Amino acid sequence: MTITYVLMQNLKRNPLRTSLTVIAFALPMAVFVAAISFVVTLAELAAHNEEELRLGVHHKTTLTNGLPEGHRRKIEGLDPNRERLVAVCGMKWFGGRVPNEQNTLTSLAADADTFPIVYSDTSMQPEDIEAWNKDRQACVVGTTPADKYGWKVGDRLTLNSTVPPYLSLEFHVVKIISNKERANFFYFRRDYLVEALETAGASDARCNIFWVKCRNTASLRALQKDIDALFANSPDATKSEDENAFGANFTQAAGNIPGLMQAMAIVVVIIIGLVAGNTMMMSFRERMRELAVFKAIGFQSGRIFFIVISESILLALIGSLLGVLPMWGILSALPIARLVNFGPISGFTVSPVAVVGSICIALVVGVASGMWPAYRAMRLKTTDALRRVA
Amino acid sequence: MSSTDIELRDVSKVYHKDRIEIPVLDGLDLKIEPGQFVALMGPSGSGKSTLLHLIGGLDSPTSGSVRVGEAQIELMSERERTSWRSRHVGFIFQMYHLVPVLTAAQNVELPLLLFKMSASERKERVKTALEIVGLGDRTDHRPNQLSGGQEQRVAIARAIVTDPDAILADEPTGDLDSKTSEEILELLNLLNTEFGKTILMVTHDPRAANHAARILHLEKGELERDEMNSARFSPAAS
Repeated sequence: MTITYVLMQNLKRNPLRTSLTVIAFALPMAVFVAAISFVVTLAELAAHNEEELRLGVHHKTTLTNGLPEGHRRKIEGLDPNRERLVAVCGMKWFGGRVPNEQNTLTSLAADADTFPIVYSDTSMQPEDIEAWNKDRQACVVGTTPADKYGWKVGDRLTLNSTVPPYLSLEFHVVKIISNKERANFFYFRRDYLVEALETAGASDARCNIFWVKCRNTASLRALQKDIDALFANSPDATKSEDENAFGANFTQAAGNIPGLMQAMAIVVVIIIGLVAGNTMMMSFRERMRELAVFKAIGFQSGRIFFIVISESILLALIGSLLGVLPMWGILSALPIARLVNFGPISGFTVSPVAVVGSICIALVVGVASGMWPAYRAMRLKTTDALRRVA
Repeated sequence: MSSTDIELRDVSKVYHKDRIEIPVLDGLDLKIEPGQFVALMGPSGSGKSTLLHLIGGLDSPTSGSVRVGEAQIELMSERERTSWRSRHVGFIFQMYHLVPVLTAAQNVELPLLLFKMSASERKERVKTALEIVGLGDRTDHRPNQLSGGQEQRVAIARAIVTDPDAILADEPTGDLDSKTSEEILELLNLLNTEFGKTILMVTHDPRAANHAARILHLEKGELERDEMNSARFSPAAS
């Protein structure tokens, strides 16, 4: 027999209470790990976006108002020597849907010549770029729709647009994007769309957005001002935003989701701390005499402290593992990226940081909630505790 | 087999409650010979348990000296007293205070966790202790599967498993019926006569006290009477 064995047996003392406490840890920690994973995903996306140095230029009023494609030349004209600007890629929303499917893909028509440069994070190889340039029907697809519909390089597919004039276009897959930030996207060539629109008698060469790839952060900030100043007071005035600010328009459309998630996580931690603290205090009070006997037979105060706090930590650890690990499994097994088919937050995965962080936080809560009972147990005056029963 | 003598000189103990001084023991002198079985009697509040706690090193006197064998209790820190207790004193309480989730053998083994000892040696000691108290066949029973008398026997086994010099019992029969009480007292006698343990037992029950070789009567913190019990002889007394 060891002290650890005694600790484990102590958890069996009141099985119902132990079970309820473990559940009180497990459920909030499961929610916690999901919430933190979401926040971590957004943070990773933000970090990625910052590295990509892309500036989104769209109509000042709303994204649905198109901008003339001539804006691209004017933007490029701001930096003819390409000291601040790498390339500009115009994009137009297609809103394509696989025939007989309900979900609309995040499908965008992009300028063929600059797409591989502006979206270098799609990791298009020279042969991919060659295929993209050669074939007007070429498309580049993220892993989420590719997995869902079983598309692979070389496949031909059809998408029906959900916006007027409701074109039905055929595409040829030239690249599957493995980058998780672009997992939900479907890109194809804008010249193909323009041509199809002309054929359908609905010529429209306007773009919903121009993505401007910049040399560095300073260039991005400078161009942001210069571009908006260039088109100010024109019928097609622009609003330029970096990719994070642009993404935030989507992710925070329903409120400050990351903020809410973080607030919820903090509340969860406080609640489980209170629950665990209450349980440990009850457990300590019930066993005060027993702990006094432990002291009487020679257990040092430090060891008594260790016994009580270890029990609290053990409860926290068991509870958090029972909450976090199944949630990890569930979130990993479910096609969350498909459920969260929402452009900027594509590629949602359970972050190991969230898992490890959750367990660490549970341990901290275990220590904090066991600290006071353990301190009381350590300071317990044996004679007083024994006298209460003698 | 080991036993020890106990000597108290001019021992006083004062408790403080809400800034009020409560004197419990007042200038007590006492000497207990090695291997003596002593019963400590007196009304509630007379200082019996306090005296037991001082001798057991659970507390230190306000003044005076308490010597148990080589140990000078009042000079020891709390940590030293705790360590000393684990090796030299065995406690028996009225309510047994066994750990309900551990078996009889595991309860008896608890004090041995403080010793550097192999698992097999611990197991052997636990077996011996349980056999001495007559529970060699109840090792795997949990406290709720034992009668009150059996629980107290387990508590006695826990007290003797470290082979202490002295056994201090605080109302060990207070929660038992008369027949079981008699069995427990006979067991204490056995530990005293066969194993030479010095035993100090607090009791309200004159019949229980009659098992001791010496009976001390405390009254308001002072030793009112100290009498030898002619019905019993302990090794030291004989």
